[in-house]
Amino acid sequence: MQGVLAAFAEIDSTVEAVQDLRKKNFSDITVFTPTPRHEFEEVLADPPSNVRRFTLIGGLLGVTFGYWIAIWISDYWPIVVGGKPVASWVPYTIIGFEIMVLFGSLSTVFGMFALSRIPRLTMTVGYDPRFSHGDYGIWVVAGPDRAGEAAEVLRRHGALEVRNER
Amino acid sequence: MATMAHPRRDDDRPRRPNIPTASNRLPSVRDYEQVDRDVIATLRPTLGWFALLGIAILCLFIGIGAWTYQIYEGLGAAGYHPPTMWGVYIVSFVFWVGIGHAGTLISAILYLFRAGFRTTIYRAAEAMTVFAVMTAGLFPILHLGRPWKFFWLIPYPNWRLIWPNPKSPLVWDVFAILTYLTVSATFFYVGLIPDIAVLRDQETNPVRKRIFSVLALGWRNSDREWRHFTRAYLFLAAFATPLVLSVHSVVSFDFAMALTPGWHATIFPPYFVAGAIFSGIGMVFTIIIPIRKFFRLEHMVTINDLDAAAKLCLFTSSVVGLAYLTEFQVAWMSGNAVEQEYFWNRVFGQWWWAAWIMLICNMVLPLSLFSQKLRRNTTWLFILSIFINIGMWFERFVIVVPSLSHEFEPWQWGTYRPTWVDYSILLGSFGWFFMWFLLFIKQMPVMAISEVKEIVPPKRRVQEDHSHDLDALVIDPGATMGDD
Repeated sequence: MQGVLAAFAEIDSTVEAVQDLRKKNFSDITVFTPTPRHEFEEVLADPPSNVRRFTLIGGLLGVTFGYWIAIWISDYWPIVVGGKPVASWVPYTIIGFEIMVLFGSLSTVFGMFALSRIPRLTMTVGYDPRFSHGDYGIWVVAGPDRAGEAAEVLRRHGALEVRNER
Repeated sequence: MATMAHPRRDDDRPRRPNIPTASNRLPSVRDYEQVDRDVIATLRPTLGWFALLGIAILCLFIGIGAWTYQIYEGLGAAGYHPPTMWGVYIVSFVFWVGIGHAGTLISAILYLFRAGFRTTIYRAAEAMTVFAVMTAGLFPILHLGRPWKFFWLIPYPNWRLIWPNPKSPLVWDVFAILTYLTVSATFFYVGLIPDIAVLRDQETNPVRKRIFSVLALGWRNSDREWRHFTRAYLFLAAFATPLVLSVHSVVSFDFAMALTPGWHATIFPPYFVAGAIFSGIGMVFTIIIPIRKFFRLEHMVTINDLDAAAKLCLFTSSVVGLAYLTEFQVAWMSGNAVEQEYFWNRVFGQWWWAAWIMLICNMVLPLSLFSQKLRRNTTWLFILSIFINIGMWFERFVIVVPSLSHEFEPWQWGTYRPTWVDYSILLGSFGWFFMWFLLFIKQMPVMAISEVKEIVPPKRRVQEDHSHDLDALVIDPGATMGDD
C-alpha cells in the first residue's frame, strides 16, 4: 500500500483537510485521533458499526444454549418433585440470561476485533506514535501519480509534517 | 447537558456549582499531552508503593498459611459448629462480590446515563471490580471440604455421568459469578486497549514497550477502530448493566430460596443489589482518595467528582436503610412468631452488637453526607468509607450468622465463634485484593487516558467563542482544583 501520511496539531485543520481530500476524490482516507471525536464521524460519514450484529447473534446463541443445557441436564437426570415438570423454565431463566450475557459480550468483543482488524502484528504503514499522544493524523492511499496532489492539500491545511510511505 | 450552576449576579459572591456531574470540566488540564504526562507519571514505582505491596503480600501469605492448615485439619478448623455451618467465608464472599458492583455501576451504568463525574474515577473502580470478584470467587472454594473438586459445579461431559442440578441456587451462583468475572474482565481490558497504545508509544524501555505492544493488539487510534470500539463499548455497558443487577440478585437467592427465618424474603434481591453498590462506593472512596492525594491527581479527580459520588453513596445508603427498616416491618406484620423472634434477637438479643455496628455504619453515619461541606471533605469521606466497609461486612455477618444460629426450634439454637483460621483467611483476602490492585496501578494507567481527553477541549486553529456559555456558569476554581 502506498500513500501520504500527515500529522496535524489542530482538529479543525484536520477536518478541513479531510473535506478537501474528499472533494478531490480521494476515497481511501484514514483519520487518526487520540480520542473519538464527533467532528470526524460527521466528516467521514461512515455507516454504523456492524458490531451490533455480532452482539445480537451471540446473545441469541447464548440464551438458546443456556436454556438448552439446563433442560437437557434435567431430562438426562430427572428428579421429579411433587409431580412437577422436570424441566422448569422459571429458574432456568437465570442460566439462560447469564449465558446470553456471556456469549453476547464475548461475541461483541470478537466482532469489534474482526471489524477493526486487530490484533495486528505490525503497525503497517501509515502510523505515527504521536497520534496516540496529542496530534491528529491523516493517511491517504494514493499512487505515485496522485501523491503530490494529496501532499499539497495536506500542507495547505497546515500539516505539521507530510511524508510519503509505502 | 443541563447544569444547576447559578447565573452570576454582580451583587453575589461566586457560588459552587451544586450538581457538578453534567458539565464536567478540568480547567487545570490544558491539552492532551498533559493528560498523558500526568497519568504516565503515576506509573513510577515509589518506596511507599513497595512497602504497601510488601504488606499486602505478607497478608496474603498469612491467608495461604491458614488455608493450608485448614486443608490439613479439615473445615472444623474454621470455627464451623452446628447449627452455624456458614460463617466468615460466606460473609466475605457476599462482601467481596458486593464490592465489585460499584465498579460496574460507575463504569457501565453511569456511562449509559452519561454521568460526567465517572470519567476520572471509573478505571480504578473497574479494576477494583475485577480484583474484588477474583477475591470473592475464592471464598466458595475455601468453604469446600475438598476444594480441589470445585469444578464439579461446572456442567461438562464427564466419565461419572453426573451433572449439576440447574435448580440449585449454588449452581446459579457459578453461572452468575463466572459470567460476571469474565464480562467485567473483558470490559476492563477492552477499555484499556487505547490507553495501553499510549503507553506503547511513549515507553522507552524496550522490554516494557514490547509487552505494551502485545497488549495493545496493534491499536492505532484510527477512525475505523474508534467507530467499532465505541459501539462495542456501548453494548458491553448495556450487557454489564443488567448483569450487575442479576449477579447480586442471584447471590441473594442463596439465602432467599431457603426457609430459614430472616432469609426467606422477596425483598432480598433489590436489598442485596443496593447494599452491593453502597459497599462498592465505600471501597471506591477508600481507594480513590489516597490515589488522588499520593499521585497528585487533584486537578483530575476533582472535588466535584467526589461530591457527586458522595451523593450516590448517600442515595444507596438511604435505599439500604429503607430495606433494613422494611425487613423489620415485614417481620412485625407477618404474624409469624419465628420471624418476629428472630428479628428481635438480631437487634436486642445475642447478636445486638453486630446489628448495631451495621445500622450505625450503614444507616446513620452516611446521613452526614447531606452536608455539602462534609461531601467535599476528603478526610471525612475516607474515614466514612472505612466505616462503610466495616458496616457492610457486618451486614452480611448479620444476615448469615444470626439466622443460622437461631432457627425454628430452641434445640436448634447455637452460637458461632470464628477462629484464627477465619481471621487469617479474611486478612489474606485483603492481601490478595490489594496486591493485584497495587500491581495494577503501577503497570497500567489508573485513569482512562482516552476518556479524560474527551473532556479536554481539543486544539483548534480557529478558537470557538464559548464565552457566552461560560458567562452562565460560575466555576469556583477552588471547587475544581480540590479545596479539601
